[in-house]
Amino acid sequence: MMSWLSTHGAAFAIVLPLLMAAVVALLPSVRRLAWAVATLVAIAVCATAFIVLQTQIDAGVIVYEMGGWAPPHGISLRLDAVNAPILLLIAAMGVLSLVYAEPATHAEVELKKRGPFYAAMLLCIAGLMGMVVTGDAFNVFVFLEVSSISGYTLVAMGANRDRRALTAAFNYLILGSIGATFFVIGVGFLYAETGTLNMEDMRAILANLDGGSRVAQVAFGFIVVGLGLKLAMFPLHTWLPGAYAYSPTMVTAFLASTATKAALYLLYRFCFTVFDPSFEYVAVVLTYVVTGLAVTGMIFASLQAFFQTDARRTLAFSSVAQVGYMLLGIGILSVAGLAGSYLHLINHAVVKGGLFLALGAMWYQFGITRISDMAGLSKTMPITTAAFTVLAFSLIGVPFTAGFVSKVALAEAAAEKGWWWAVAVIMVTSIIALFYMGRMMMVAYFSPPPAECLREDGKVLRREAPILMLIPLVGLAMMSILIGLRGNVILTDISENAARVLIPGGGL
Amino acid sequence: MTPDTPIRDPHVILRVIAKFLIPLIALFAFYVQFHGDYGPGGGFQAGVILAVSVILYALIFGLDEAKRAFPPALIRVGMSLGVLLYGGTGVVAWMMGGEFLNYSVLAHDAIHGQHWGILVIELGVLTTVTSVMLAIFYAFGSRQPEISDEDW
Amino acid sequence: MILALPIQAAPASPLISTLLLDIGLLTLLVIVAFAIVRMRSLFAIVMLQGVYSLVAAAWFVTLDAVDVAFTEAAVGAGVSTVLMLAAMLLADRESKPIPMNRQWGPLAVVIIAGLAMLYAVPDLPAYGDANSAANSYVGTDYLAKTATEVDMPNVVTAVLASYRGYDTFGEAVVIFAAGLGVLLLLGLNGNAGHFRADVKGRRLSTATAPSGSAKHAEPDEVSGGTARNASGVPPSITQYGEGTL
Repeated sequence: MMSWLSTHGAAFAIVLPLLMAAVVALLPSVRRLAWAVATLVAIAVCATAFIVLQTQIDAGVIVYEMGGWAPPHGISLRLDAVNAPILLLIAAMGVLSLVYAEPATHAEVELKKRGPFYAAMLLCIAGLMGMVVTGDAFNVFVFLEVSSISGYTLVAMGANRDRRALTAAFNYLILGSIGATFFVIGVGFLYAETGTLNMEDMRAILANLDGGSRVAQVAFGFIVVGLGLKLAMFPLHTWLPGAYAYSPTMVTAFLASTATKAALYLLYRFCFTVFDPSFEYVAVVLTYVVTGLAVTGMIFASLQAFFQTDARRTLAFSSVAQVGYMLLGIGILSVAGLAGSYLHLINHAVVKGGLFLALGAMWYQFGITRISDMAGLSKTMPITTAAFTVLAFSLIGVPFTAGFVSKVALAEAAAEKGWWWAVAVIMVTSIIALFYMGRMMMVAYFSPPPAECLREDGKVLRREAPILMLIPLVGLAMMSILIGLRGNVILTDISENAARVLIPGGGL
Repeated sequence: MTPDTPIRDPHVILRVIAKFLIPLIALFAFYVQFHGDYGPGGGFQAGVILAVSVILYALIFGLDEAKRAFPPALIRVGMSLGVLLYGGTGVVAWMMGGEFLNYSVLAHDAIHGQHWGILVIELGVLTTVTSVMLAIFYAFGSRQPEISDEDW
Repeated sequence: MILALPIQAAPASPLISTLLLDIGLLTLLVIVAFAIVRMRSLFAIVMLQGVYSLVAAAWFVTLDAVDVAFTEAAVGAGVSTVLMLAAMLLADRESKPIPMNRQWGPLAVVIIAGLAMLYAVPDLPAYGDANSAANSYVGTDYLAKTATEVDMPNVVTAVLASYRGYDTFGEAVVIFAAGLGVLLLLGLNGNAGHFRADVKGRRLSTATAPSGSAKHAEPDEVSGGTARNASGVPPSITQYGEGTL
């Protein structure tokens, strides 16, 4: 089994959730059956992703030929140091979200819909993983659609809690579809230029053509805009706050930690592997357009986050700002910058996933969505609030947390390039993050709990979240500390390896 | 099946013609399905055409009649079954020692394996596409109690 | 959404009649597209979308992409028109006029995207050019290899179902996902219900209470803690019965 998985694991990790989604959708509405099956599938997928990562580390590059057809005629999966860790990241976040879903979703989705709901969740996991592992440009689009269409449905399911989820899902659907269309137009132009859909093949042909003609330039533009919509690049982020604020709690945590990350991975892939920054038009777009939008997004989205009253919208705008950090790392166009960006991608997935899990637990117990309602949470939900605090520190970038490591890496890369203004922007936006996260913690720690939470003898009624919510939440909080303390050992290696694969020449 | 007042039925010509056409449309769907190896066609197109034959039936004889012929529970199974048929072909290829969806290992020689594989996966596509098209029609159609004549 | 690779086997220099046909069909497409944008009646828009697909299908035939044409005719002109009509019946018959100040943004996007594509045109290969990248590399290989490897007269089917069968599997899953979407949001019997999510402990805030007031019965589930028994189902649900999804 292990040796079979080391050969076929990459395909197995995609196919298993796809097929099991079809099964889960048909399961009878019996108590926790659909949840249990979906969670077991996610655990199996995560274990497979781990084996695949091991194999990739040993082998360097894994190529799996779907249907036995060698590329470029068939579709191949291609794993290297860039996408294998992201595959595991998505699978792991899928497991954590599904474990958390037992209490959370069961308060939000009625029994008869849970089968299809968990099926959609499995499709979303499989779609995101499929986007990441494939080595074929059109196959990216297919799995982008799998993850998007199930994602729109999952967001809309938040309507049981707040009807605004429906308009949020509709916005997400329209903008997401425009993004996917732009992407596929770009792939079409690339096909016209290169005559192949295999990404390695495209890279070789484009390098041969020295960047190619205007067709390749237009293809690059369309792909960047399409992926920009998917990864919520400022100002294409307008779908994101609504989608994150109103979808079911578990869905928000999963999408916030993986969906934009998978699209960002594709941006790495297209900017550095398929295209190359040594082509003049790629360098111009990345240095001026992407960097410019990244910095603008960091500042504006951080400020917008500060002025939100809804806790989840605050975190959603913060996500847009954090995407700005990752894009800035791309724009620096060096191994160090890209490594910082990659590290921040992983850290942010852990941190933002955890923060949304914590907010979900607060909603689950008290229906809290507004920052002003978070009063006294440190006394009523001490463990959740403690985990929230740790993760918030990490988001701000306090030393000894995950956020600190990656922000320092990004700042060093920017300084190395002489972009002192970028270092300043990173510091200023971190200070703004201190204010908007600090505001929540001030309320949670220093405001007294509302009268409803006081017992008759004057003591505070403790209402901690259920254990299945606490396990993933505390796990992610500890993870962010571990990265902060020991992360320079493992994760920095992983991100530097990834960056070296993306920029084999060592950068400009 | 029969309308309440058959004599004053304003759509008698529509009903008669439709009864004649619907089997032909369904038959054409299967032609498209199985002729896809030789000419334009395949599971997607055939599935859509098969769904259209049922939708036409629903439009003329009413949604409830169509639901008796193709119950929503069956549609739900069909949606999943098609994906399982398609993916199952790949899984069988795995068990026979090939890559996922490598049809060549399915039979004694590669060409026959390819033919078998394509036949089954096209059937899977047909099942899913037909079911989902009907599911979408049922979902929207069920929300409107009855389509009144003025609306057409 | 439907994957099809147009493998062109067109002559290197198209006949002048084909060229005129192409120009005529494309002009028609542009006219129909403008009509769709300008119309207010949703019924007419849905019908014109069907017309658009049909004209597009005819154009694909002149491009020798008969598989794509067939799909466009069956899906675009056929079933989507019916499904759009079914959806339209639940909405207003007329769309509200959109104020001009909300139209500049989309207009700019369309113009910029169009100009970008026009920018690429000079470097695109000539129509039917046998030496173009799309025709000479993988496309030619498919034509040559299919006879021996898959033995299928229709090369498009061989590419879709076998060489790129994984893509087509993904497409089938996309359609399945769409089916799950309508199942979850509408229900196949129009009874998706108005379940109201509820918090386990005490709701401290009423700021985001859902507008729908009905709770859906869930007799065999008590894990939520608070009683979630049905407290009145609005007539719009009972009208269509309380079955499974």
